[in-house]
Amino acid sequence: MRITLGLDSTSLSRRYPRLAILATLFMAFGLPLGLYVAALAVFPLNTPERLDAMAEQWLGYDLAGSPYRYIVYTAFLLLVAFIAVNYTAVFGGVSTWVERRVAGRMQSRIGPNRPGAAGFLSWVADAVKMILKEDTIPAEADHLLFRAAPYFSMVGLLLPFVVLPFGEATVVTDMNVGVFYVAAASAFVVVGILVSGWASNSKWALFGGIRGAAQVMSYEIPAGIAMMVPVLMAGTLSMQGIVRAQGGWPWQWFVFQNPAAFVAFFIAVTASLAEGNRTPFDLPEAESELVAGYHAEYSGFRLAIFLMVEWANMWIMAGLAVTLFLGGWQVPGYGAEDYARLLGTGLLPAPGWFGLQLLSMLMFVVKTWALVFVFIWLRWTLPRVRVDQMMSLCWKYLVPGAFLCFVVTLVWQLLVPPAGVAFTGYALTALALFVLAKFAVATRRNISKVAGHRVDLGNW
Amino acid sequence: MNTQFAIFVFLALATLIGAASVALSRNIFWSAMGLLSCLVGVGGLYVMLSADFVAITQLLVYIGGVLVLILFAIMLTSQIQEISVSNRSVGLVGGYLIFFVVSTLLSFVALWAPWRLTSKEPVANTTVALGDGLLGTWLLPFEIASVLLVATLVGAIVIARKEVKSDS
Amino acid sequence: MAQGIRAYFGHITDVVTTFWEGLSVTLSYMLRRPITVQYPDRVEKRVADTLPPRYRGILEVDTAVCTGCMACERACPIGVIKISTDKDPGNPKQRVITQFDIDVGKCMFCGLCVEPCPTGAIAHTREFEATRKHVDSLVFRWVPDPAKPVPFYRPVKGQDAPRAPVGEILRRCLAAASWIERPSFLPEERKP
Repeated sequence: MRITLGLDSTSLSRRYPRLAILATLFMAFGLPLGLYVAALAVFPLNTPERLDAMAEQWLGYDLAGSPYRYIVYTAFLLLVAFIAVNYTAVFGGVSTWVERRVAGRMQSRIGPNRPGAAGFLSWVADAVKMILKEDTIPAEADHLLFRAAPYFSMVGLLLPFVVLPFGEATVVTDMNVGVFYVAAASAFVVVGILVSGWASNSKWALFGGIRGAAQVMSYEIPAGIAMMVPVLMAGTLSMQGIVRAQGGWPWQWFVFQNPAAFVAFFIAVTASLAEGNRTPFDLPEAESELVAGYHAEYSGFRLAIFLMVEWANMWIMAGLAVTLFLGGWQVPGYGAEDYARLLGTGLLPAPGWFGLQLLSMLMFVVKTWALVFVFIWLRWTLPRVRVDQMMSLCWKYLVPGAFLCFVVTLVWQLLVPPAGVAFTGYALTALALFVLAKFAVATRRNISKVAGHRVDLGNW
Repeated sequence: MNTQFAIFVFLALATLIGAASVALSRNIFWSAMGLLSCLVGVGGLYVMLSADFVAITQLLVYIGGVLVLILFAIMLTSQIQEISVSNRSVGLVGGYLIFFVVSTLLSFVALWAPWRLTSKEPVANTTVALGDGLLGTWLLPFEIASVLLVATLVGAIVIARKEVKSDS
Repeated sequence: MAQGIRAYFGHITDVVTTFWEGLSVTLSYMLRRPITVQYPDRVEKRVADTLPPRYRGILEVDTAVCTGCMACERACPIGVIKISTDKDPGNPKQRVITQFDIDVGKCMFCGLCVEPCPTGAIAHTREFEATRKHVDSLVFRWVPDPAKPVPFYRPVKGQDAPRAPVGEILRRCLAAASWIERPSFLPEERKP
């Protein structure tokens, strides 16, 4: 029944419900899909040689000998960067909505559900609000550094996108030292946190900055060593090389191929959560103690950049874990020769190749979103750890554990024959499925423990 | 002037200006920022020399580790602005003396050393060669360095740890 | 030493078991129905109708059964109710109510006016939504036109006063005066 009380924000979408659903579907699927397709169209062309060949073939223009070659190539790189930045922003926005909805339901609430169908457009509304707000700078702050700090964070967020493989061909560039590069690039986020904490000239921000520095420096060690486990198993530092060393089926993933990698996966995820300042490790911005930590003094668009970095970092963390441990973009049943066969030898590959590429991107995106959901789920389950607990977890548990995994993997690689690895893959996959089933049963029992409660996904 | 030269000039300027601001800035935090620019510039120069692994290590160790540690220490320090940070015990004369000696030496090295000029080649996979070198030809220095670092770590822990009361 | 090792691994087991328990609880809540009521527009029933019957909402006066005793006006601790009476010009024996105003903006819903009312003419409803553009419009005039006064009701012995069902009059008035559909250039509504 309709009760008229006041002008509410949904009046437009209520008057045209179909329009709201269409707009939501466009923002939820059309926008990311468009970015994926753009990435698929642009990223593989991203070498000077291929650009030369294309200009030669289609335009009859000798780009290789032209003085404008570097301008064209730079323009192409800017296009690539444009796609990556937009993808980051869209993911950051969408993940805030997912986080708020999931958090709401986990606390028996609903969460934002008004703008657009199911409230999906609330992240757009938030972004517009943030951009329209006044950008205040404290009078006593170090103005230049205060303004520069968000850019450090932003650079640290965007640099890993260069080597993060979205699909078989959809990677900006496949560096030889990819894994190492990702570990190094995250340093800029810390610099951003430190600079913002110092330049704000506020004690809360300073405390947040110090905590951030201590935390990220400590957790870089277990994260780095745990990331070395798949590097040892693949024998390469290149991200694409590591994905190619795995397979599409779960028992071909590195996480199930050796028990040490199984442990290293959890160590790497925990350490990267701490590096990304996600709850339960959000000590640098602990709102109950430090107001908002290092970004306490920020407002408007600069705050929006910090928050976007924080959420979009989930994509990097999850994507890295998926790439290193969970098979990356590998599609079950398709091997390297299928890609090569569909690619052909012409300048443009066959349509089937694009289909397979989209499928491989879909695999990566689905796995990454699943892991992002786990991060959100953890955030709304665990309380924040204390500083001393954070330090003891890192130095007493994660660092020795990571070293142990490293050594065990070395021995494993030397001693265990391929048949043993395959058997471990099946066994650990079966174990994981068994644990998941047990977990589902436990969850089901938790619901039926309360009289009258049952599985009900209604009340959106 | 080709593109590579322009990039080189840009990186070299970033390095030099950063290094100068480390020495000349009145504010230690700005000195640290200068160090950041200097280290990134050096990393870029490594990339231009096709040394990808070394460049990334530069970023990882010097920015992720050393610079963050320096910033961390600065934040724990009070009174970091508007103070003179130069070493007064040696004095201006000693400073100029050291400056001239070192700069003369470096200029001689730069001008007279037989630099081997290699042709431009794309970034090759240097990781394998580095690994082979460290664990093959140069195994002994590598191991000695690791033992030294372990000794440093243990020493740091010994100094930092609290004495456990033995009477209880 | 052995104890220390046991404690060390005990912590790890603790982490695993508590994570298992905690994650299972939060996931189980995610799969249940949120208890939030999506007031005001996505509710199956009007929220006012789901409130308990003795809810103290906006006051309603059925002037048809008002005896004009002014007990409610005296009972009100903050002077929310304002009643004026007069002689009926046509019939000098009959007294009439010319004004019965309740300032809902000031009312604190204490219920002290309801208790002394002999006929139940003044009563709390379960209505609570009466947003107005101006606070003055929250003065509900139960005798809308002073020129058309309402005669006093004379109670009949051994018989309940024929009070209209509580809430009906108010709901009708609120619906008639809903300000959303009312353009702002019109004069403020006099009716409640």
